[in-house]
Amino acid sequence: MSVDFYWRIGMHGDQRSLTERAATRGDWEPDGPGRIAPALRGGVPDGHAYIEHMADVARAAEAAGFYGGLMPSFPFTDDPWAAAGLLARETRGFRFMIAFQPGFLNPVHAARMAASLQRATNGRVVYNVITGGGGPAQLWWGDEVAHDDRYARTSEFLHVHKGVWKERPYTFDGRFHRVENGALPDALAAQDLPEIYFSGSSAAAIDAAGRHADHYLSWMEPTAALARKFAAVREHSAALGRTPRFAVRVDVVARRTEKAAWDVVRTGFESADPAALAQWRTGDSVGAARSLSFIDGPVSGYRDLEVEPNVWGGFSLLRGGPAFGLVGSYAQVAERIDELIALGVDAFILAGVPHLEEARRVGAEVLPLVTGARRPVPA
Amino acid sequence: MTEVILRLPTRPAPARGLGAVATDVRGDLYGPLEEAFQTWRAAEIAGLDGVLAPDDPDGEEPWTVAAGVLRAGRHLRAVAEFPPSFATPVYAAKLSATLQRAAHGRLGWKVAVGGDPAVRAAQGDPVTGEDALRRAHEFLTVAKGVWHERPYTFEGDFYRVLGGGFGHPLAGRPFPTVYLSGTTPGELDLSAAHADVHLLRLGDDVGAVRAELDRRAPGRAVRLGVELSVSVRHVGQDDGPPEGVAGRWDGFASLGHTVPEGLVGTPAELAAELDALRRRGVTTFVVEARPALAEAYRLGEHLLPALAGLAEEAVAGAR
Repeated sequence: MSVDFYWRIGMHGDQRSLTERAATRGDWEPDGPGRIAPALRGGVPDGHAYIEHMADVARAAEAAGFYGGLMPSFPFTDDPWAAAGLLARETRGFRFMIAFQPGFLNPVHAARMAASLQRATNGRVVYNVITGGGGPAQLWWGDEVAHDDRYARTSEFLHVHKGVWKERPYTFDGRFHRVENGALPDALAAQDLPEIYFSGSSAAAIDAAGRHADHYLSWMEPTAALARKFAAVREHSAALGRTPRFAVRVDVVARRTEKAAWDVVRTGFESADPAALAQWRTGDSVGAARSLSFIDGPVSGYRDLEVEPNVWGGFSLLRGGPAFGLVGSYAQVAERIDELIALGVDAFILAGVPHLEEARRVGAEVLPLVTGARRPVPA
Repeated sequence: MTEVILRLPTRPAPARGLGAVATDVRGDLYGPLEEAFQTWRAAEIAGLDGVLAPDDPDGEEPWTVAAGVLRAGRHLRAVAEFPPSFATPVYAAKLSATLQRAAHGRLGWKVAVGGDPAVRAAQGDPVTGEDALRRAHEFLTVAKGVWHERPYTFEGDFYRVLGGGFGHPLAGRPFPTVYLSGTTPGELDLSAAHADVHLLRLGDDVGAVRAELDRRAPGRAVRLGVELSVSVRHVGQDDGPPEGVAGRWDGFASLGHTVPEGLVGTPAELAAELDALRRRGVTTFVVEARPALAEAYRLGEHLLPALAGLAEEAVAGAR
């Protein structure tokens, strides 16, 4: 079997380490000594925009053996469509997984964008279709559509997007989109549709994923919870006559020894702001609420967040993003990845902070230890 | 300041094989946008001010082209042409914020309003006529709103935003230079409110449009531009307009151009024509020229120096 390992390309800067929560890469925090892209040279910015660091991460991840890079999207981040267009020629085989909310784009224009970008990259565009966490963030985007309706819109968007790409002339009259005699030009239509990685934990999301996803993508969760989630997606997809594939987005702290890995986490945890835990509760994202539900009881020490061996739920205290990830020796992290493969996962989006150096480490030390061999899954 | 922008071809010539004898090393390394990429590089190297990535439903998609252009050069500006229907104004602004950050403010917007309703409908856009103008007005208002203000709230007929607006570091870059066009009262109203540059066609009454814009937007100096085709005559030319054509020629559509009206002549003749427009207040020239790569070099090596020479003469003459 073959497993696609993606790496993450930060769209909102990066920290110089996981142990201090300060984004010194990019311009998300004030000018200061030690910041890069842009750095200060003689007190003035050196002209290297953050895109230069993104390009470094993409090239490093490609050289380290990653299949592609996920480019996430939030109100405060750079935009993944723009970044993928800018980086199109920076890598050769490495793919760009663009996170986007379909509701913000016209499905016909999105098909044109993707097809042209396929031509610019020789077919290296991948989608991470997201549907929005809701709450104030959606209104920030100018999106008032309610949670479950957003999945209906996503579903309709993907239907139209595929339709106009593959059929001609294409006409559609729906709830959110209308097209009359649409078509892509031949050269663009000849491109492959990007693979679709679909995120979302709610019932509405799983329904939409069943219809459109090539990969159902979940944040990392405790193994049993992931297994239940995948079973629900399998069941729903089977009813639609489709067979889903599974992907997991997971942060890793892997070191030569387990102790060295936990040392990183402990140091980061001790300098983190405990009030940050409360921020998980904002928004109507079912995924974020789920993450929180896996943590039992009060959290007094970093190991309280280890819900099963090497699976740690405190990453969002150390950097922006999902809560769960893997902490351990190279061999342990590889074993946990093998267990996820045994659950049916055949694609991973890995991430580590700082992304540039950790891409090289994980590519060199962890990926070679992943065997894909079935191992017993802990109950 | 004179700005010369090259309108890019959106449909590069199909790749041709090398025949039976020559060894072809291109293989998979040579993608379908290679020709386009080389044209972007040529425009940068030749010293043009910018390129326009046109919104052609049958060609390459303009944002993809604009991003590639911005990354391919250090100085070249990229003007992406698009209809407001392509995305929400917040998303269009967000996309543009990243491009402005990466390219140090070299992005422009050419907002295409109206056009053939059937073409728009095929692009998934049912809004036409007066509504299209009103939507364009709201689109630009909201995009500039989230760009410049925080929190930003807007309630219109087409868009609503609550508590929007960019934070650091997305905020604070220049908003993309806005190019609009048209001669109807509604189009002039839109330009008066939102355009940095209002684009005309060759033959439009420059003075009248200048007066209309000044009347609608007193104190806000909307710059004027002209979109035209050009062909720089040169020895050994085996393409371009028929022999004997010189000066104003409106047959460029027969050469595959989008803009039918244009000028044909030696660099000195073309520079004189453009200089005449410049004396009437036109500061931007959006030129279509084919083959684009070779013409980019010809414009940079022949037309721009001639144009600069005339500007210097004008300055010297005024002293």
